[in-house]
Amino acid sequence: MNRFLSKDFLSGLMFIGFGLIALYFGQKLALGTPVRMGPGYVPRMLSLTLIGLGALVCIIAIVSGSEPVERPKWKPITLVTLGIVCFALLFERAGLIPALVVLIMIASLAGEEFKLTEVIGNIVVLSVLCTLVFKVGLGMNIYILRGVW
Amino acid sequence: MELLDNLSLGFSVAFTFQNLTYALLGCLLGTLIGVLPGIGPVATIAMLLPITFHLPPTASLIMLAGIYYGAAYGGSTTSILVNLPGEASSVVTCLDGYQMARNGRAGAALSISAVGSFFAGTVGTLIIVLFAEPLTRMAQKFGPADYCSLMALGLVAAVILASGSVTKAIAMVFLGLLFGLVGTDVNTGAQRFTFDIPELSDGIDFAPIAMGLFGIAEIVVNLERHLTRTGGTIKVTSLWPTMDEVRRAVPAALRGTLLGSALGVLPGGGPTLGAFSAYTLEKKISKNPGQFGKGAVEGVAAPEAANNAAAQTSFIPMLTLGIPSNAVMALMVGAMIIQGIQPGPEVMTKKPDLFWGMIASMWIGNAMLVIINLPMIGIWVKLLTVPYRFLAPAILLFCCIGAYSLQNSTFHVMQVAVFGILGYVFVKLGCEGAPFLLGLVLGPQMEEYFRRAMLLSRGDPMVFLQRPISLGLLVTTALLLLLMALPSFKKARKEAFVEE
Repeated sequence: MNRFLSKDFLSGLMFIGFGLIALYFGQKLALGTPVRMGPGYVPRMLSLTLIGLGALVCIIAIVSGSEPVERPKWKPITLVTLGIVCFALLFERAGLIPALVVLIMIASLAGEEFKLTEVIGNIVVLSVLCTLVFKVGLGMNIYILRGVW
Repeated sequence: MELLDNLSLGFSVAFTFQNLTYALLGCLLGTLIGVLPGIGPVATIAMLLPITFHLPPTASLIMLAGIYYGAAYGGSTTSILVNLPGEASSVVTCLDGYQMARNGRAGAALSISAVGSFFAGTVGTLIIVLFAEPLTRMAQKFGPADYCSLMALGLVAAVILASGSVTKAIAMVFLGLLFGLVGTDVNTGAQRFTFDIPELSDGIDFAPIAMGLFGIAEIVVNLERHLTRTGGTIKVTSLWPTMDEVRRAVPAALRGTLLGSALGVLPGGGPTLGAFSAYTLEKKISKNPGQFGKGAVEGVAAPEAANNAAAQTSFIPMLTLGIPSNAVMALMVGAMIIQGIQPGPEVMTKKPDLFWGMIASMWIGNAMLVIINLPMIGIWVKLLTVPYRFLAPAILLFCCIGAYSLQNSTFHVMQVAVFGILGYVFVKLGCEGAPFLLGLVLGPQMEEYFRRAMLLSRGDPMVFLQRPISLGLLVTTALLLLLMALPSFKKARKEAFVEE
């Protein structure tokens, strides 16, 4: 069982997966001829090669073994991704400051230590810094707080 | 002398107030991220790419170049003083640098590393000046088939010199090439893999990808591993090395410079490989190898000179052929494209002021770095006491704002999130991001050249073997691949990277 949960075997599966996805979504693209290649020619070549390489990686992993995958910790990756998504949703609708506050709060929760006073300090410093650099300095066309500035 | 004319043009461009300011800014930023672990030059340059859009081309490239070699300088400071390498390229410096510091020679180690780096940077810059013209002239003779083969060689060589499994790295290159296809097909206008998302019809921007793969994934992994900083800071006393130390450092720095310059030019080479090889070489030729690891001066001078020389010479393939040799150079290509410059042999002939200005500014930047690093050492060390729990959210925030400002769209911020997850999967599966990024950047051009070559040859793939340049490049590529399959080479390669 461990043999199939190794880093290399799973990477092989990942390559095969991406190759199949590209093959599936590229099937409608015209192949053309080698002289006048259509938009689908190179994608088809690449996805087939990728599937082949993925299979090779899998075989090597089964034959000679490889390191087991470290167990992922779900908290950091989930919270960091959530933070970025919230930022993206809030940035245009509400402005820089609300998006920043939410992002820093969520991202700080992803770490081991969380002290509210420190996080608030961090938010204040970064808000001032970003406003000065991006709005005042670079003159970017963004809302600091939508409806206010 | 044409060379002198070019150089004087370069210095006249580099010595304007604006360009000096951006060179200084780049060096300061580079030193900063070099000192701070957890953020490297790739993520930083990706974050700053959108901002360079507001700057003139020369200034933006000067600044980005400064970040790259500044990071190589800054990383060594923390290696020596607190045994924490800020960058992969200064990992070996820890071995003897920190021991020298513990023996009370911290100041000497710092100044040897700074002066050695400056010397190596100067030599590296000179090498660029000497080789740029002949290489460019050669590249102008290349046809589409030759270019395609050259890129294949570049990609394969980059994979071989990287650490980890070769098959996986080649697969990562292909995955990158595949991602590079997303967007409108240039020849027919057909939409490929765009899933009816209008933002994707121009292709996937590589800045959010680089931020996700190298910035976000790195943060997540650091948060998982609970990055903590320990180790007491060592007081720096006199910066002056003794005569004996100088006598031992000079030849070592010279050897390091030569080795680093040579390895920097190779695709996939660069500062890290240069530093490791230089350290191994010194240990091999030393009369008393037992000293290494206990504070040998040579063990600081050689890798520090090598990583800086390699940082300089890795610009050569990018500037003359338009082929990036590592992830940072791939982003530099991106920075040029953002400014509307197609990297390649035309840059030197069509934009001589940009080309020579950038090269001259590299030398000026190296001089600035000695000044930034030596007298201001205390400030940089203080920065190390900033805990990671403050840094991680700040880096995340800058990535998000940087991605947004690329095209004033939150779609790019979402892309950062998606590629952050993908980057995390890559790290967990031990797949390297650099070959992916190289494939992604070279993909569209390579397809273009491939299709053009096939059209010119009326569909005969033999064209790649009939043109002598292309044939030579492909034979080299095949030889490299064969070499990889040899068990003895495999073993040597594994050993070379074992200390990473």
